[in-house]
Amino acid sequence: MNASTKTAEKKISGQAKGYLLLFILVLISWGIFKIITPDNFGSPKNMLSYFEASLLAAVGAVGFYFVMVMGMFDFSIGANIMLSAIVGCVFANRFGLGYMGLIVGSILTGALVGLINGSFYVKLRIPSMIVTTGLALIYESVANYIAGGVEQTLPSDLRAFGQMPGNLILAVIAFAVAYLLLNYTKIGTYTYAIGSNEFVAKNMGIKVNKYKILAFIISGAFLGVMAVLTISYGSSMVAVTGMASMSRNFVPTMGCFFGLAFKKYGMPIPAIIIGEFVINIIFFGFIALGAPTAIQDVITGLALLIIVTLTTKVAKGEIVK
Amino acid sequence: MSEIRLEVKQVSKSFGITKALREVSFNINKGEVHALIGENGSGKSTLTNSLAGIYQKDSGEFILDGKEVHPHNQVEANNEGISIIVQELGTLDGLTVAENIFLGHEEAFVKFGVKNTGAMNRKATELLKKYGFDRIKASDMIENYNFEDRKLVEIVKATYFDPKIVVIDETTTALSREGREELYKQMNRIRSEGNTVIFISHDLPEVLKLSDTITILRDGVYIDTVKSSEVDEEGLKKLMVGREVSGSYYRADYGEEVSAEVVMTVKGVTVPGLISDINFELHKGEILGFGGLSESGMHEIGKACFGASFDREGSVTLADGTEINDIPTAIKHSIAYTSKDRDNESLVMNQSIRDNICLPSLDELSNKAHLLNDRKLKAFANTYAEKMSTKMTSVDQFVSNLSGGNKQKVVLARWIGKDSDILVLDSPTRGIDVKVKQDIYQLMDKMRKAGKSIIMISEELMELIGMCDRIIIMKDGQINGELKRDKDMDENSLIAKMV
Repeated sequence: MNASTKTAEKKISGQAKGYLLLFILVLISWGIFKIITPDNFGSPKNMLSYFEASLLAAVGAVGFYFVMVMGMFDFSIGANIMLSAIVGCVFANRFGLGYMGLIVGSILTGALVGLINGSFYVKLRIPSMIVTTGLALIYESVANYIAGGVEQTLPSDLRAFGQMPGNLILAVIAFAVAYLLLNYTKIGTYTYAIGSNEFVAKNMGIKVNKYKILAFIISGAFLGVMAVLTISYGSSMVAVTGMASMSRNFVPTMGCFFGLAFKKYGMPIPAIIIGEFVINIIFFGFIALGAPTAIQDVITGLALLIIVTLTTKVAKGEIVK
Repeated sequence: MSEIRLEVKQVSKSFGITKALREVSFNINKGEVHALIGENGSGKSTLTNSLAGIYQKDSGEFILDGKEVHPHNQVEANNEGISIIVQELGTLDGLTVAENIFLGHEEAFVKFGVKNTGAMNRKATELLKKYGFDRIKASDMIENYNFEDRKLVEIVKATYFDPKIVVIDETTTALSREGREELYKQMNRIRSEGNTVIFISHDLPEVLKLSDTITILRDGVYIDTVKSSEVDEEGLKKLMVGREVSGSYYRADYGEEVSAEVVMTVKGVTVPGLISDINFELHKGEILGFGGLSESGMHEIGKACFGASFDREGSVTLADGTEINDIPTAIKHSIAYTSKDRDNESLVMNQSIRDNICLPSLDELSNKAHLLNDRKLKAFANTYAEKMSTKMTSVDQFVSNLSGGNKQKVVLARWIGKDSDILVLDSPTRGIDVKVKQDIYQLMDKMRKAGKSIIMISEELMELIGMCDRIIIMKDGQINGELKRDKDMDENSLIAKMV
């Protein structure tokens, strides 16, 4: 009994501990680069712009979290963002639907991609990594076809979501929806239940396949929002092929790892948001340093491994796969 | 005459070529505790799992209060008034206690698609309080609680909505004395309210004490239904096994001198938070028992001796001076270990019986070029699986398809095949039927006589008394007493040192 009380007490301080850890990470990553390059890094204004940039991937990551926490994976994240952004841009620009076209077009495309991913995964009964890798190639080709091989540019009068406060408003709405879904709907409960033990979840009457598809749809819709923010921030999107879109997978996936690592503190969504911020501090730190890309990649990779290792305190004997 | 609650009519169920249930028919009445007993693999869990929607029966009918029921999952079964507490863990990590209790029944707390977590927590708190489990907090994550507390949450989950039938499948073995008392209380409450408990247990005295009626299954076939007041333990054993269970159940010898030769010395062993300053010696040909309450630290002793504890201090030394600090060294020096949590710690569930039995013996089974011969592996696995009378279609069958008792046989077969000299057996007869229990006791006795040394950790006091040369009682992570084998020893002398 003592053990249970003790663990319960530990839980009370769990969230505070999680926030403290994240705050320390922000402080360390900022401190290191501030010491090395004090003049052109880390001013309050700079930090705000790093945070703004981190919102993009954080929005995608909170959606992707639904897929990852169920134990599945999605290699078509980058292709989805690219396709959704191009469709949104075409709706807004070519069809003259303005902001409505941009938002609805991107989110619906993202959700549709999620629906296709989920349906193929459930119907084909093959690992999600393989399904989404195969489908990513198709999405890239479709995006390329829609764009007609031409870079799609969003007109300057439709770029409110690329700057403050538009980007922040859209991101906050997305985070609030994710938080609501995760904590105040059946979807959130079932997501964790399926991730914990699919067999038991099925026995509890949960339609496991339905909720797996739903997780992909939610993830896709959030990636659609990320697409809106991405094209608004960068003003254009090129439809690359040959799996080149995979490079866009990295940042949202890393943010998601933060969410999974801090799940035990009961704060996955804040962890994703702050985690993406940390990643961006490191990125911009390297840019300020003027380090070559190869070195940047090596150090970023190592830094992230260290961060996730230090923050993911695996219990003794726990199996990590 | 009592009113019929459930009619089981010609129910059959197969898993591949294994016929788990063959046209089973019998009735269960309202307001009774109806025990279901039989050897491992007799079909008890298959029958109740089919009733509770976990499995789908192949043919036959379940008629509940005159109406046929055919649930496809546990929630549908709940809606029909049937609930089940399963043998293994039935709660889910990642969810709170309240979410686990109401999993599949969230509708009551959802308005316009939004879940009212506060209301759900309040309702769960109210229920936990009503059951006397106040120490369990509704809003806590379930993984913050130990196995036993999680079982208590399952009891609430399975009974709070006053189901017509509650199935309790081999749950008591997972609970401490206190937990069992709570469960018994709930069983009596359900019965007194005119509802029915289907109770599955291998503990025959417990079955006789708690149940009103007992149905016996053997090899998937209905054998008989008897009144508990009209039968005794021996009679039940005979019905279960199909013949007299002859010979002694436990060891019959008393006063035999244990060899002075020490094979293992445990000195100052401490595992932070679990056990502290443990010292004992294990002798050649000795069965050394460890007893205590579930959380007394006795289960950690087994791990510590096998080199499987984390942050262990102190030493575990063999007669030749070898220090046991890790599992490979333990296995290399002929130490075997069976865990209480066999599904998670002893078996590779999605592998064949063959692979599970051969696993620690692969070095001995490989040829000079370190290549393995399939036929040799199969023959090896077959020999020891058959020696343990494992009910299986072949050694190629997946372990996950076996019943609880047969899984345990596979674990034991593995170490018998390895011919280990020191066996650390944690709850070796947990969830095992009377016939196999007797086989295991006889096997242990045979091993002891052959000079093998055994550490037996058990929550079943009678088997410790019946089988051990010495019994060490653990309390709060420390040794709280030692008792020598004695004909006059009873449970009370052990309990006095346990609590």
